[in-house]
Amino acid sequence: MGCSASLPDRSSSGRLVGPNSENGGASDAKNLRVKLVLLGDSGVGKSCIVLRFVRGQFDPTSKVTVGASFLSQTIALQDSTTVKFEIWDTAGQERYAALAPLYYRGAAVAVIVYDITSPDSFNKAQYWVKELQKHGSPDIVLALVGNKADLHEKREVPVQDGIEYAEKNGMFFIETSAKTADNINQLFEEIAKRLPRPAVSSTQNP
Amino acid sequence: MLLSLLSKRSLEADSRDAYGFALRPQHVQTYREYSHIYKEEEEERSNKWKNFLEHVEKSSELCSPEKAHKEELQAEATEQKAETVPESGEEGNDTSSGKSVSGCSSERDPEKELQHSKETEKSKVQTWTLIRSSLSSIENMMSFRVRKGKIMKDKQIIVDKDHLPSEAASLGGASEDDVEEDVCFSDALNDSPDAFTAENSASDGFSDVVKVAGEVEAMGGGVPNSVQGIGTEEAEEAVANGAPPEPFFPWKLELESLVHGGVPTDLRGEVWQAFVGVKARRVERYYYELLAQETNTTESVDKDNSSGVPRKWRRQIEKDIPRTFPGHPALNEEGRNSLRRLLLAYARHNPSLGYCQAMNFFAGLLLLLMPEENAFWTFVGIIDDYFDGYYTEEMIESQVDQLVFEELVRENFPKLVNHLDYLGVQVAWFTGPWFLSIFVNMIPWESVIRVWDVLLFEGNRVMLFRTALALLELYGPALVTTKDAGDAITLLQSLAGSTFDSSQLVLTACMGFLAITETRLQELRDKHRPAVLAVVEERSKTGQVWKDSKGLASKLYSFKHDPIVTEEKNTTEEGTTDGYVSHLKSGSRNLDELLSGTSVDSEVDSLPELQDQVIWLKVELCRVLEEKRSAVLRAEELETALMEIVKLDNRRELSARVEQLEKEVAELQQALADKTEQEAAMLKVLMWMEQEQKVTEDARINAEQEVAAQKNAVHVLQEKYDKAMSSLTEMEKRVKVAESMLEATLQYESGQAKALKSPRAATTQGNTKKLGILSFGLGWRDRNKGASDLKSPSEQREPSSPKDKTGEEEKGNAK
Repeated sequence: MGCSASLPDRSSSGRLVGPNSENGGASDAKNLRVKLVLLGDSGVGKSCIVLRFVRGQFDPTSKVTVGASFLSQTIALQDSTTVKFEIWDTAGQERYAALAPLYYRGAAVAVIVYDITSPDSFNKAQYWVKELQKHGSPDIVLALVGNKADLHEKREVPVQDGIEYAEKNGMFFIETSAKTADNINQLFEEIAKRLPRPAVSSTQNP
Repeated sequence: MLLSLLSKRSLEADSRDAYGFALRPQHVQTYREYSHIYKEEEEERSNKWKNFLEHVEKSSELCSPEKAHKEELQAEATEQKAETVPESGEEGNDTSSGKSVSGCSSERDPEKELQHSKETEKSKVQTWTLIRSSLSSIENMMSFRVRKGKIMKDKQIIVDKDHLPSEAASLGGASEDDVEEDVCFSDALNDSPDAFTAENSASDGFSDVVKVAGEVEAMGGGVPNSVQGIGTEEAEEAVANGAPPEPFFPWKLELESLVHGGVPTDLRGEVWQAFVGVKARRVERYYYELLAQETNTTESVDKDNSSGVPRKWRRQIEKDIPRTFPGHPALNEEGRNSLRRLLLAYARHNPSLGYCQAMNFFAGLLLLLMPEENAFWTFVGIIDDYFDGYYTEEMIESQVDQLVFEELVRENFPKLVNHLDYLGVQVAWFTGPWFLSIFVNMIPWESVIRVWDVLLFEGNRVMLFRTALALLELYGPALVTTKDAGDAITLLQSLAGSTFDSSQLVLTACMGFLAITETRLQELRDKHRPAVLAVVEERSKTGQVWKDSKGLASKLYSFKHDPIVTEEKNTTEEGTTDGYVSHLKSGSRNLDELLSGTSVDSEVDSLPELQDQVIWLKVELCRVLEEKRSAVLRAEELETALMEIVKLDNRRELSARVEQLEKEVAELQQALADKTEQEAAMLKVLMWMEQEQKVTEDARINAEQEVAAQKNAVHVLQEKYDKAMSSLTEMEKRVKVAESMLEATLQYESGQAKALKSPRAATTQGNTKKLGILSFGLGWRDRNKGASDLKSPSEQREPSSPKDKTGEEEKGNAK
């Protein structure tokens, strides 16, 4: 490529960089791009929440997630901004936590999911909250989600517990059901509303 | 062996492939197209394999006539031997089953299978099936590898005790759990053949442990003539016949190319077992012991028995069983029970590892291809050997492999990596799942299985790397066109998911990346492992997860984003460890040299302590990061330059277009001028024509006027004529009157003449004259009557003359 003649000088090149996804939220004020990571114990329904949100489907016998899987979905807000969620759905088993930093690093949003019928999964959720408070981006938006709300007769984690814990940690809390699609869209819309909007000038330069 | 139970109909019913796995709706059509190709390939390869196996068998007969004799007695080229454990403690009696299958044509008798499974259901008896003897040569070859591997592993364990905490932990575990380690150690530690004295004290069922150890010894050339079991006779013979430590298999290359072409479906289960060296790994009754322990603990359900599988793994396995190939027709109640037994048995076999998600898929796949116990030993081979350290609590090796792979990608696809860096995509985001799942659920099944064919044959993870590189080679060009991270990953996922051309994938992997060898990978792993270990150690020490400021691996992941911190680190490090830095700088100034890892190992070894290694690596890392940063900058520059070029290109294109358009416009204008000229000419013609028309009109009017004038004239003439006629009639009337008067006169005269006859002679003469005139007038009158009313001028004139005449007559009369 004979492009040497038109090479810009080094100092200006940094500004020309387009989608630097340091915070996963770099984009213009009207079209946000957001890296979102789902964390939580195995089998709480992380993949089901994503599938419900992105494809509108629910499969009671979904596959085990190995490592992580990726899906993206764009929603439009009332103020005519669009938000493109780049969703990393991680594996739930404890030992995969070793790989989690790979996915939550640089994420603008972390959705921590537990199963309202399983106190263990609620404990696990608290572990993830602590880990993210320590090692996530400082301005990360945290959401605590109690899934499987349709199984209320088997409930073992009271709503109040979730609300209190979320309040204490400055998180957004919601109970959802991927099975009935209850609150799934609301979850992502609420998250979108809470995102820090980029300033008008989006230049970031060392 | 669940696969053979599938009925064709159930597969077709809900869009599943030939292995019974669900197809994504968008892939159903493509799969159908490819299924014909698969079928053709399958035919071709089963012929090839058949020829190959016959050939190998002949050559091995030549080598060991004794064996050939034995096989003649068996009278069948292939034989499947099944044994049920509680019945027979000794290994494979030739008479045990007689369920023989001819050659490689491998049509399994469905009835037999049915019987088989019924048996299993009834008594919950597990079956151990030997593979057909035609494959035993392959098995023998692979068995050497297994034994060699074991020795290596033992040495490694002794040497690297500190480096592999999980391994070390398992050594100190409960006694019963250490069977595998016993196997490994007995050969390394026992130098005397005394070990074999335990052979016949089979009360605890572990005599085979010793037996395996014996085999290893034999391979080392130690104990020649003791034959432990009838079932393993071939292997034993090959060893006992004074085989060299690394025997030569002339057909190995041929086999390799066959494996690259794929293993025939009906042979696959057995060939895989042969590749993994199941026979050499197997410890008789071991699996049933594990299962027996399991049933004991399930009886005392909630007790967290120390020898039992820890509750968390049992729970995890229970959670995952229904989520393993959900809806697969073979994973019914019975299939799931097999899966559960296998996973629990493994968790018990290797308690330090236990259970890790992804293992459920591997176990499920193996159970589709082979009987349960065979699947267990194959599984053990894959997890403990091929993927040693991969699925352990810390997943150290898998993290190391990701770093190694990233380096390889940077080396092989600089352009792609630049683009991914630009988008903020990390290679490990998508390759992590690829590696951990060995591509299960990531690419179409036919491709998964073809990759496994090669992977299991090679006995290491090289194929994993090659396949991943092949996928990037195939789809890199498409990835470079993406505009953001999400699009890139979505695109790659969907492209990988539609890699139906399995032959292309395997060939690209095997032929395109020959430079990726196990030695190379080991070098790179050794280079990257300290970084991962340091992080893991730190994590376990502090009980914290990933401390960003110190964690090396985490920094490697994030260095791109906080270059300042890195630089600071760089300077401080250089300040504090002057000696090492200067020493190392000379050794690895060249980045390429560093990356190739050739000079690194020796230097690592020469460093006195791990801590120093860590510091040194940090420094090196910082340097590499710096390099990378500048590379990234350069990439950005190139990107902008490219954009500009593209823009310029656009401009040129546009101007060309404008020119063309202008030309067109000019042409059109010319045409327009021509047209106007034509129009003017036409107008002229039109005007002329109009004038002409006017003239004609005038002429016409004149003509009309003339006509009118003529008519007038005619009219006038008519009037004159009428007048003339009327005067004529009047004249005629007068004539009549005159005639009558004349007659009257004549009559009078005649009356007088009679009276005056004689005297008057002279007068008579005069009278005759008079009479002459009169008679002339009468004659004329008659003539005129006959000539009717013709309008001739002569006639018109006539009346005047008679008038004159009559006038004369009257005059004459009057006289």
